[in-house]
Amino acid sequence: MGMLDGRVAVITGSGRGIGRGIAHLFAAEGASLVINDLGVSLDGEGQDTGPAATVVREIEEMGGKAVANTSSVTDHEAAKGMIDQAVDAFGRFDILVNVAGILRDRMIFNMAPEEWDAVIAVHLKGTFNTSKWAATYFREKRAGGRIVNMSSNSAFGAPGQPNYAAAKAGIIGLTLTLANSLSRYGVTANAILPSGSTRMIDSIPRAVEAVAHTGKLPSELAIGTERDPDNVSPLVAFLATEGAGHITGQVFGSFGYNMALMSQPKVVRAIETDHRWTVEELATLIPQAFGSEFEGQANQPGITANINALPEGEWVEIGDGRRYWASKIPAYSEQTW
Amino acid sequence: MGTLDGKVAIVTGAGRGIGRGVAMLLAAEGAKVVVNDLGVSLDGEGEDTGPAATVVREIEELGGTAMANTDSVADYDAVGAMVQKAIDEWGRLDIVVNVAGILRDRMIFNMAEGEWDAVVAVHLRGAYNTCRHASAHFRETKQGGRIINFSSVSAWGSPGQPNYAAAKYGLLGFTATLANSLDRYGVTSNAILPYAATRMIDSTPRAAQVHEETGKLPSELAIGSEGDPANVAPMVAFLASDAAANINGHFFGVGGYKVELYSHWELAGVLKHERRWAPQELDEFFDGSIGGYITPPDPVENPSGGRPLKGSSALQADANAWSEIAPGVRYWQHEEYYAAKARDAADTDSTGAVAEGAV
Repeated sequence: MGMLDGRVAVITGSGRGIGRGIAHLFAAEGASLVINDLGVSLDGEGQDTGPAATVVREIEEMGGKAVANTSSVTDHEAAKGMIDQAVDAFGRFDILVNVAGILRDRMIFNMAPEEWDAVIAVHLKGTFNTSKWAATYFREKRAGGRIVNMSSNSAFGAPGQPNYAAAKAGIIGLTLTLANSLSRYGVTANAILPSGSTRMIDSIPRAVEAVAHTGKLPSELAIGTERDPDNVSPLVAFLATEGAGHITGQVFGSFGYNMALMSQPKVVRAIETDHRWTVEELATLIPQAFGSEFEGQANQPGITANINALPEGEWVEIGDGRRYWASKIPAYSEQTW
Repeated sequence: MGTLDGKVAIVTGAGRGIGRGVAMLLAAEGAKVVVNDLGVSLDGEGEDTGPAATVVREIEELGGTAMANTDSVADYDAVGAMVQKAIDEWGRLDIVVNVAGILRDRMIFNMAEGEWDAVVAVHLRGAYNTCRHASAHFRETKQGGRIINFSSVSAWGSPGQPNYAAAKYGLLGFTATLANSLDRYGVTSNAILPYAATRMIDSTPRAAQVHEETGKLPSELAIGSEGDPANVAPMVAFLASDAAANINGHFFGVGGYKVELYSHWELAGVLKHERRWAPQELDEFFDGSIGGYITPPDPVENPSGGRPLKGSSALQADANAWSEIAPGVRYWQHEEYYAAKARDAADTDSTGAVAEGAV
């Protein structure tokens, strides 16, 4: 008995890396799949039907069911085709997982508009495209649904990734809207900040160093370790189950064997008066009231470091090598629209 | 003597509403201002050179210096030309304020592709366009700079605004990246989540009710009151000044006579294992461990009789939670949040080791 028996999922970007790992686990848990992958290079160039077909074959060899789709998530109508293909092949559609993504890293002052547009198109427009058609289907069928979107740690301000940070942060905003607008239809929407040594990691300067020392790429060295991109898949599978129906509008981090729950920015201090401020008043009062929060650097993307810095004594053991840490900060979200 | 004497600023979307208030105050504080406004309708249609020209005239009548620009922020080359024109004309550029924005509200399942694209183009691509060109200048001249981007509380998941929420949350991520990458050049980048009765508010269903009851739109009723969009401007002017050089990468809620400070993204909980989790294990342990965090707090009754208050508005509704920190100035802080922080700090000494006796 699998946790996803009888379910049908569309997984974008599942020809390689994190998406492929999710597809394998979903199939093992009993889901039937549309394996979407355009088969492009990391920066979005070229096309290759191979990766999607290969994953379909791998799943069939495991005894699972899957069909390949090699269209681009940036194509609004083609995104509808992915949902239609799921229904045509397997009679229903339950779960959407958006993983497809590309990189075009550049500092803001050197970034070309084409680099900005390409990344926004695949991540943000792509997630909108598939989510829209999924939402349309879920609303019509009234049988619930699950949407899991890949955001990134980089959303919190990675210096050399203005396009990627904007797109991945935008995905969080979109996910929150999906959660708030689709809950009445039994649909949950959550975002994950994944990690893992994928070909995205192979592309960074540190990877060249790894090759020089070991003769292998980080993605090759990572298999079976904490850096294995397959470590992301259990969280996605859990969120996709019937039992996770109460979990929506959340941002999770998947960092190695750590599964983190993130809190959104929230209002923690305020000042108020009875007239329009003058600039001089604010120049005195803002440092006085908020100043201690301006020390150090705001919004750093280093979450793994934050996890490693958690005080040892605050962890609670729950058996078999498992343990958890829970913030004392109260459950809280800004819902002021 | 103004706080911005000698500075040069570009304010996008400055022909109306919040942007207009910002442009006028920056000018009053001594800055020379490029008043950018395409003059479109709220949904981005049509074009009208009037709004930008009118604001320039208003600034000049008050003794300030300004020039109009009526190009679209979504046009990369036009924005580049606008930045260059400011530098050519006035010899420098110090401040960029991105206010330009449009609305195309629709539930996700009914949203047309064009509605998505239009909103993302103006808010997100528009902010990239101005920041790309301005940051190149800031980096070259090494004289510092200020970037202030307008996000929105809609970013927290406004149900009927998938495009706007994505764009406005995207701006938070983008602003954080700017803060982390331009710090070394003396450039600060911050985001504002404004509250004000603008024509955006006039377009909401509640505004129609107000109009029926009073014969006026919310934006007309707001002039001179708390809802006046001009109330957002002083915080922008402060962030743009030399006095705010140490404020970088922060998000502020600004509106009425209030300024709010947001916390950063933080860990709420972690489930750790010695090997890869099985989904069955997460199912078994999630609710009893970190899952408690996701239960939202109960909303409280709104004293003014409107919709129930949630989030920080609910906590701020308690008059006793405020204290006076200067004559006529009240201060609020999220007590539970800071108490939790203090407990974390008490558990850990400066080396990161757990203090004796900590639980």
